[in-house]
Amino acid sequence: MSATDSPSASPSPTPVSLAEVGQYSCGLTLVFVLASTCWVLLPYTGDLFVALVFLMAIVLAGTWWNRGPVLMMAVVSALVWNYFFIPPQFTLHIDKPQDMVMFSLFFVVALSMGHLITRLRAREATLAQHHQEREHLLELKHRAELLAESERLHRTLLDSVAHELKTPIAIIRTALDGLGQGNPYAKEIETANRRLQRIVESFLEMTRVESEALEPQPDWCEIGDVLHAATKPIQEELAAHPLLITGTTDLPLLRLDSRLLAQVLGNLLHNATRYAPAGTHIEIAASLAGSTLELRVRDHGPGLPLGAEDQLFEKFYRAPDSPAGGTGLGLAIARGLMRAMKGDIEAHTHPSGGAEFVLHLPVKTRSAA
Amino acid sequence: MTALIIDDEIQIRRLLRMALESKGYTVRDAENGQMGLQEAVFLKPDVILLDLGLPDMNGVEVLKRLREWSSVPVLILSVRDQEFVKLAAFDAGADDYVSKPFSTAELLARLAAIQRRQGAHDAANLQLGPLVLDPVHHEASLNGHSLKLTPTEYALLAQLVRHAGKIVTLKQLLRAVWGPQAEEQSQYLRVYANHLRKKLEGSTLEIKNEPGIGYRLEET
Repeated sequence: MSATDSPSASPSPTPVSLAEVGQYSCGLTLVFVLASTCWVLLPYTGDLFVALVFLMAIVLAGTWWNRGPVLMMAVVSALVWNYFFIPPQFTLHIDKPQDMVMFSLFFVVALSMGHLITRLRAREATLAQHHQEREHLLELKHRAELLAESERLHRTLLDSVAHELKTPIAIIRTALDGLGQGNPYAKEIETANRRLQRIVESFLEMTRVESEALEPQPDWCEIGDVLHAATKPIQEELAAHPLLITGTTDLPLLRLDSRLLAQVLGNLLHNATRYAPAGTHIEIAASLAGSTLELRVRDHGPGLPLGAEDQLFEKFYRAPDSPAGGTGLGLAIARGLMRAMKGDIEAHTHPSGGAEFVLHLPVKTRSAA
Repeated sequence: MTALIIDDEIQIRRLLRMALESKGYTVRDAENGQMGLQEAVFLKPDVILLDLGLPDMNGVEVLKRLREWSSVPVLILSVRDQEFVKLAAFDAGADDYVSKPFSTAELLARLAAIQRRQGAHDAANLQLGPLVLDPVHHEASLNGHSLKLTPTEYALLAQLVRHAGKIVTLKQLLRAVWGPQAEEQSQYLRVYANHLRKKLEGSTLEIKNEPGIGYRLEET
């Protein structure tokens, strides 16, 4: 056939595409070519042979083309056969009753051939499409299973690493508790052990944040509870920094993941205790603008290194003159957690000195009255 | 009093044994879940300390099997401190949860609290420090002065006093005070817990929140 053949043509005939226009013209050409050839051969073959040639052409066309062009071919070839080949020639008039029957039969056979074959093809196409869809679904499912499996493995690995690292720290802690408070050496070990615990927890949390194995679990809570949870693990460090908390009592109930937010605040407060001189205040201000909770944590330390406002949220970033200890992960974790909760964190040096961290978090609210 | 420690770390077992024996407990231990369950059957301990990361089976599974026939107080000791792990343990019937590394003093206080609960139900008057509840008349008094409470506040406070020192999960509180259909309505709880906190202000009692888990009434 010609280059306009389109083996994968859509089975639906309604929108006449460019390929279909091609098929119509090819059909007409084919009928013309066959009619001319048969005209030449007519004296040797008789008009019945011509009818069979036309039928064959319609069957073949049906295997490639859409229903429209095939039915058109059936109609056109029936008329051509009648006009040029059935005596009396060059009229649509038919004399003999048997020729009349022949013509009607041809018409019916040609039409049903075209119709049946194209319908068959439409079925095939639907089947192929279903098959393809199923393959696609299977592949998607397989991929999802692989992903779930790798996530599960990752979590298991993280859990066992956490277990291996935290168990010795737990043993040291319990042994020190048994030893009692009196010994100054034990006090040093305890301080070091707590520092070690903090580092291990930071690394584990960073891994969790990065692996996206972290799904916020929002629930109704009071900001006071969040602050309490944030300050409790660092009570000792906070002893030298009185907290000035404002705005928290006016807030309604908030729907957020209190554990994650407490961890962010804990990291910020811990940072403040490390950089600000002992005895200075740390200020926490809470406010609600529409459905966004804003929390500001401000210390009275040296402020942020110039131009590092964004850099300091990068993993392992340490300010040039930061005190010894610390992993450079606290703020990276804070930002990771805030973003996991669809919020964000930014930092700047307060106009009147000290570092200020601003948290924004979208929350649902409900009056606590 | 007998305590059973189920933990695969021998050092943890030794240290816990020393800490518990110094408080007068008789201590037995088991290094995996299967042995732990056997010991629990033979020994009928008064309290069980259960690790979640056991070599042969998950601690939550141990707890579920144990709960099929026993209501012995169980304290979970685990390095895993994510909320969903804790909630799974509480759903399986844990009485309290302590994350490793833990402070020994805190551990002992929690142990005492979950054992005290066993006898507390029958008392005619519920009492915790300066707070006395009268279950017959649904009245409360703090430091000898009558404390004005709404019926809901009373019901919530009674739940917390009944389990004093022990964590009560959000689900347990909601079910006990508002009924089973309210299990998801944690905002009610937040509001009433807040009211109670204000009414207990200035006393030695404190309603502590464990994020995502529940509340604990403690005398400080």
